[in-house]
Amino acid sequence: MHVPVGLKVGAFSLLVMGSYTYFANSIPQIESRPPEELSLEGGTVTPAQLVKAGEQIFKTKGTCEVCHKIGEKGMRAPDLAGVGGRAAKRKPGVSAKQYLIESLLDPGAYLVEGYPNIMPRVDKPPIGLNRSELWAIAAFLESLGGTVDVTLDDIPKTAGAAAAGGAPAELKLPGDPKAGEAVFAGKGACIACHKAGKVGAAQVGPDLSQIAKIQTPEYIMGKILNPAALGTVAGYPKGVMPPMFGQTLTAKEYVDLVAFLLTLK
Amino acid sequence: MRPLRALRWVAWTAFAAGILVAVVAVLTALPAYAQDAAQEPAYRAFPVIGSRLAVWAVAQLHLNFAAFILGVPIFAVIIEIIGWRTRDARYDWLSHELVKLTFAAFSTTALLGALLLFLFVGYYPKFWTYMTSIFFPTYWIYALLFFAETFTVYLWYYGWDWLSGSKKWIHVGLGVLSNLLGTSILVVANSWVTFMMSPAGITESGALKGSVWGAINNFTWMPINIHRLIANIVFGGTIAAAYAAFRFLNATTDEERARYDWMGYVGNFVALSAFIVLPFAGYWLGREIYAFNQTMGITMMGGFMSWLWIIQAILIGILFLGSNYYLWLGMERIPGSERYRKYVPYMLTILAIGFMVWATPHSLIVTLDEARAMGGTHHPFLGFFGVMSAKNTAVNLMILTTFLSYVLYRRANRLSIKPWVLTGMAIQWGAFFVAAAIVVFYGVYGYFVESIVRIGFSVYQVGAVLGAIALVMTIDVPMFRGARSTGAIRWGRIPARSQYVLILLAVTFTWLMGLMGFARSGIRQYWHVYGVMRDTSVDAVTPALGYAANVITIVTAVFFALVMFIFWLGGLSERGKAGAHGLPAPAISGGSEDDR
Repeated sequence: MHVPVGLKVGAFSLLVMGSYTYFANSIPQIESRPPEELSLEGGTVTPAQLVKAGEQIFKTKGTCEVCHKIGEKGMRAPDLAGVGGRAAKRKPGVSAKQYLIESLLDPGAYLVEGYPNIMPRVDKPPIGLNRSELWAIAAFLESLGGTVDVTLDDIPKTAGAAAAGGAPAELKLPGDPKAGEAVFAGKGACIACHKAGKVGAAQVGPDLSQIAKIQTPEYIMGKILNPAALGTVAGYPKGVMPPMFGQTLTAKEYVDLVAFLLTLK
Repeated sequence: MRPLRALRWVAWTAFAAGILVAVVAVLTALPAYAQDAAQEPAYRAFPVIGSRLAVWAVAQLHLNFAAFILGVPIFAVIIEIIGWRTRDARYDWLSHELVKLTFAAFSTTALLGALLLFLFVGYYPKFWTYMTSIFFPTYWIYALLFFAETFTVYLWYYGWDWLSGSKKWIHVGLGVLSNLLGTSILVVANSWVTFMMSPAGITESGALKGSVWGAINNFTWMPINIHRLIANIVFGGTIAAAYAAFRFLNATTDEERARYDWMGYVGNFVALSAFIVLPFAGYWLGREIYAFNQTMGITMMGGFMSWLWIIQAILIGILFLGSNYYLWLGMERIPGSERYRKYVPYMLTILAIGFMVWATPHSLIVTLDEARAMGGTHHPFLGFFGVMSAKNTAVNLMILTTFLSYVLYRRANRLSIKPWVLTGMAIQWGAFFVAAAIVVFYGVYGYFVESIVRIGFSVYQVGAVLGAIALVMTIDVPMFRGARSTGAIRWGRIPARSQYVLILLAVTFTWLMGLMGFARSGIRQYWHVYGVMRDTSVDAVTPALGYAANVITIVTAVFFALVMFIFWLGGLSERGKAGAHGLPAPAISGGSEDDR
């Protein structure tokens, strides 16, 4: 029987591709799913629950396990067995939790001998851990040979601000930054407590000179309207920021003020 | 110009112009569209198969066609120049035959590109608006380049007879120009793709910081430019060779068999020459990925994608084995090649061992049972062969062996008559052994040093191999100039299974391109633009390899079906004619009774 060449070539090609496909389907099938966000703010959580959550993040969203091993010398990064106990001795005057948090947020600040400075900030994209997740992972690391005493307040308020990575800057407020600067220094009286670049010098509240760089527009807008709901920046007294700007500022003044604050980078 | 040809010219021009007008119209509308983006949904759902699969399939098809029409003209113009300078009509015929293939695929590439653009604009509007906010100026450059490329290629193809004889230099110039334009198009499109992978030149919130150049010149842009350029040549070569193989198997006369045997050999030779340097470009790309972001690099090589590299190793191993097997089969039609047959088992052994080492896993995600069975995440013995030291050594030795196969093939029917032949041969063998020794030395030494030091060793290994290749060829060319022949190559007298090897190479390389496309895109995971713009659609999950393989196979099958159809269409007007462009096809040695 004469089989046309086209048929033979087609069957041969399908056989070749079928073999590759069969092999690819016969190996372990691993999907990469987007990580789920963990939020512990406002809720009660026991140290054991916190450590468990931290371990989960260590292995998944944090991608720590790709380089760090526990009980095994890593080629790219140090063995973390006993790090909770060692951490307090790494830098004089720095507690275990402070050292661990610094390692997560500024990994290059202290390098373990023999390892390169390759670790990324874990609160920035693409890893992008939020404050709750940083808290949990710090607790997990403390649990490896140390005592779990880290609290959510130990994690800087600015940490994890850009964690979601989300959409790029596309929020275009109709506000006028110039008019907003006038509100900042005038009707809003923000200048009484805050410094904003060249405007003001007060240190009662946090310096806002780079607020747009370290906080999201949503945070800035929420903070003006309901400051207590978003917590107090570590090191500053609680309850000082007035909660009535939502009533005293007009809608235009409000968006002008936000537009001005978003220029502070 | 004959009426049929004139009619086709008008039809193709109108079609290309129509596509271009559509693209420009969409591009022009985009800024206005972007202003309304706030009211637009971030995503729309493509019916039945979903948006991701639709984009994936069209993008892969577009890239396959684009790679073909950009890769083939590069070596077509080189072949044309060879024919022009040597006055050998065979090369001019072959060059025209190759351009004819790309020409037929040209409009399909444009159509698929336009379709891909429509899919992005329609189904990923927020993403596309963002990309436009960064890359809008480059859209115009792309459109203008496309316009220039279309007309240059048309002139090149249709002006073949018109610009012959004393005007041949103009024709060759058009070929060179169309290649420069085609490569520029590739480079512009690569800037978009690589930005998604390794964004640069933007603020933390994703806005453009300075000029668009900062976004274009990101970490992976230049490595991908080089890698794709080389890969396109390999791809073009394998497809041209597969076309020739198909024609060979369908041939009814010895002349036809000889002609397409020769064409298949040239296609494979081009593919193999470029393929040898492709792993080096791949290593550079990998290095830049690590330099951009360690997490991305580690996820790519040791994370959920680790199994992908085992599949890649198998495919590349098949390409190496297949290419060498084709050369060894080809030697059977060369009188005098018998003296080199004794080397084949040794070369096969090196290739087989290299293949096995390269395909040995190291950092794999394993099940608990598998880990228990191995006694850890790495196999106690085979784990040693899974590290980069062993793999670099294996691939460099495979490249050296493949080059040796080619050298032996090249001199199979020639005996050098130069008085310094023994010295030349000794230096050549010395170069092979020194290169192999350097490769093995650094491969073994790599086990005793830190990873950061070990990475640098691959440069010495690659340098040794490239140096040996350059030295051997520098000696080989003058040594065999004017050599005594042991008989003409009997083109067409090659077993039919050799032609299936050419088809195997084309199918495997096309499948490999699909796999690497999945790897490049998949390492972004749930990001449209890595670390900047997150994928919040229902398709944010990066699928497992099995699913990816199913898609790649279906798209590759569709690609070959389309290619066959287009080639059939392209050949309709020349049916029944041996000549390609008004001239009879040249006779190839071995194709007639007189040569027997």
